[in-house]
Amino acid sequence: MKPVRAEGLTKVYGEFTAVDGVSLEIGRGEVYSLLGPNGAGKTTTIKMLSTLAKPTRGDAFIEGYSVVRESREVRRVIGLAPQDLTADDEMTGWDNVYLQARLYGLSPWDARRRAREVLEMMDLYQVAHRKVATYSGGMRKRLEIAMSLVHEPTVLFLDEPTLGLDVQSRRKLWGYIQGFKRSGMTILLTTHYMEEADFLSDRVGIMHKGRIVAEGTPEELKSMVKGETAYIEPLDPLNLEEVKKALEARGFKVWLVGPRVAVEMDSSGEDLPEVMKAIEPFKLKSVTVSKPTLEEVFVRLTGQKLDESEEEPLDSFAFRRIVRGVRR
Amino acid sequence: MAKAEVLSRLYYDVDVLVALTWREVLKWVRRRAVLLVSISTPVFWIVLFGKSFNITSILSLPAEGIEPGLAEAIRRVLAARVVELFGTIDYFTYVATGMLVVFTLFQSMFGAVGVVFERRIGYLTRLLASPAPRSVIFLSKVLGTLFRVTVLSALLVAVAYLFGLEVKEGLTVSDVILAWLVLMVLGMGLSSLFTGIAFNVNHQEVLFALANLINLPLMFSSSALFPREQMPEWLQVVARVNPLTYAADLERYLIIGRPVEDPLAYWAYLLAVSITLTIIGYILSLRGMREV
Ligand SMILES: Nc1ncnc2c1ncn2[C@@H]1O[C@H](COP(=O)(O)OP(=O)(O)OP(=O)(O)O)[C@@H](O)[C@H]1O
Ligand SMILES: [Mg+2]
Repeated sequence: MKPVRAEGLTKVYGEFTAVDGVSLEIGRGEVYSLLGPNGAGKTTTIKMLSTLAKPTRGDAFIEGYSVVRESREVRRVIGLAPQDLTADDEMTGWDNVYLQARLYGLSPWDARRRAREVLEMMDLYQVAHRKVATYSGGMRKRLEIAMSLVHEPTVLFLDEPTLGLDVQSRRKLWGYIQGFKRSGMTILLTTHYMEEADFLSDRVGIMHKGRIVAEGTPEELKSMVKGETAYIEPLDPLNLEEVKKALEARGFKVWLVGPRVAVEMDSSGEDLPEVMKAIEPFKLKSVTVSKPTLEEVFVRLTGQKLDESEEEPLDSFAFRRIVRGVRR
Repeated sequence: MAKAEVLSRLYYDVDVLVALTWREVLKWVRRRAVLLVSISTPVFWIVLFGKSFNITSILSLPAEGIEPGLAEAIRRVLAARVVELFGTIDYFTYVATGMLVVFTLFQSMFGAVGVVFERRIGYLTRLLASPAPRSVIFLSKVLGTLFRVTVLSALLVAVAYLFGLEVKEGLTVSDVILAWLVLMVLGMGLSSLFTGIAFNVNHQEVLFALANLINLPLMFSSSALFPREQMPEWLQVVARVNPLTYAADLERYLIIGRPVEDPLAYWAYLLAVSITLTIIGYILSLRGMREV
C-alpha cells in the first residue's frame, strides 16, 4: 500500500477550478515534489491531502485512510508545515512545540521529552525559551517543521519549506529534509525553485493551472528536453515574428516565450552556427543558451517561465507573514 | 474492545481539552499588559462608577430651612424608596453586583477576538490539521473565557468589598457558589455565541463593531446598572427578555439579598437562553472550522 495516493482530486472555488483532477502516488520513503508557479494549485492540493479543504471531487488516501471519510485518522499520521507561518509568535518556541505535542495526545512527560528531541533535531533548542517573534526567518521555518514532527508522522507535507529564505538557509533546510528521508518518512513538498525539486526529490510532478502536466524523476523529466534551448530577444519586439519565421525557414523547432524566441537545438553544439546565421539580419537585445533543466521542461510544457507567475493578490497579512521571515 | 476504544478516545479528548484550555490561561497570564489592564478594569470601574453615583450621600444633604423632624421624615421616606428600588441603601452595592454580569459580557467578547487573531496568524491552520476534535477546540475557547471571568469576578468582589460592598446577612458558601454559577451559565452562552461569530469573520474589527451593536445596548437595557422599575416602559419590555437582567437580579438575590419574584424561574430562563446561545455558537463554530 502506498502511503499517499490521490485519485482525481479536484477543488472548485465558485467558478474557478484551483485543482483539476490531480492523481498521484508516493511510495514509502520517497520524496515527491510538486513544482509549479504561483497559483498552480500546489497549496490547494496539500490542503486537500491534509484534510484542511474538502475536495469538490475525488479522494485521497493517506496510509490507507480516506481524507474525505476518515479525516481524523489522516490527521493523526500526517505532519504538516503549511506555506504560511503558523506558530504563535507571542509564545516561546518551546511552548509552541510542547503544546503541539499535547495536541496529539502525548502525556505532559512525553510531550516534554519529544519537544526537546525535535527542537534539538532542528537546532532550535538553544533559542527555545525565546518568543517566536524574535526568531529569524530561517528559525521560524525550522520551528514550523519541528512542530510538524512532534508526533512522529509517517507522512510529511512541506508546503514551500524554503520560501523567502536566503540560499544558505535554504541549503541548510535541504539537509534536514534529506535526514527525514533517510529516517524513512514519506515526504510531499511543494516548491517553485527548480533546483530544490531537482536536488531533493525522487520524483517531481510539474503542476500548471491545477493539473499535473508531467511527472517523473528529475532525470526523466530533463530527458524530455532534447538538447539545449537558445533564447533570442530582439531589440524591437515587433521583430519577434520575423525572427521566428527566419528560424523556422531553416527547419528549427521554434516557439515564443514572453518577449523571446526559443529554439530547440541539438546538444552537440552543431546547430548553433546555423541559428546565428539565421538571426544575423536582426538587431538583438540578448541571446542565451540553456542546458536542459527542470525549468526548461516547465517552459516547454507551459510556454511560461516559472517565475512569470499568474497574478496572485496576496492578502496583506499573509504577505507580512512571509516578509517578516525575509527581513530578519 | 469497543468500550475500551470509546474510553481511550474520551480520555484523549479530555486531555487535549486540558492542554488547549491551559494554553488559553497561559496566554492570558503571559501577556502582562493585557493581564494588567484586565485586572485593573474592575478596580477602575468600581471606583469611578460606583462611588460617583452614591445616592446615600444625596440623602444626607443638609436640609436647611426645613423643620428637623420633617427633614428626618423625608429622609426616611426617600431611604425606604431607595431600598425598595435597589435592594440596598447603597447604589454602590447595587452596581458592583451588576458589574459582575457586565464583565462577563465583555470578557466573552474579548475572548472571541483571540479566535480571529489565531486565524490571522495562521495558528488555526495548525490546530485544524491536528486530530483535536472541533468540539474540543470550541470548548477550550469557552472554558478559557470562563476561567478569566472567574478570576476577574473574584477580584471584582474582593475590591468592591474593600470599598464597602454590603453583602447580605448570613451569606453562605453555597450562595457564593451559586452566584459564581450564574456567571458561568451566562458566560457559557455569551462566549459560545461570540466564539461562533469569531470563527466566521476575518477581521477583529467586525467583532468590535458587534460589541458596539450588541454589548452596550444589552448592558443598558438590563437591570445590571439601573433597576428595571426606573426604566421607561418600552425599555422595561426589553429588560424583561434580556438575559443579563436575570443574571444580574440573581447575583443580587444571592449576594446582597435583594428579593426576586421567583428565583427558580429566573434560573430556568437564564439556562434556557444560555443553552440556546451555546448551541447556536457551536453550530456557527463548526461551520467556520470547516475549511481554512
Ligand atoms: N479559498 C479560496 N477561494 C478562492 N480561490 C482560491 C482559494 N484558495 C486558493 N484559490 C485560488 O486557487 C488557485 C491556486 O492557489 P494555490 O494557493 O493552491 O496555488 P499555489 O500553487 O500554492 O501558489 P503559490 O506558489 O503562490 O503558493 C489560485 O489562483 C488561488 O487564487
Ligand atoms: Mg502555495
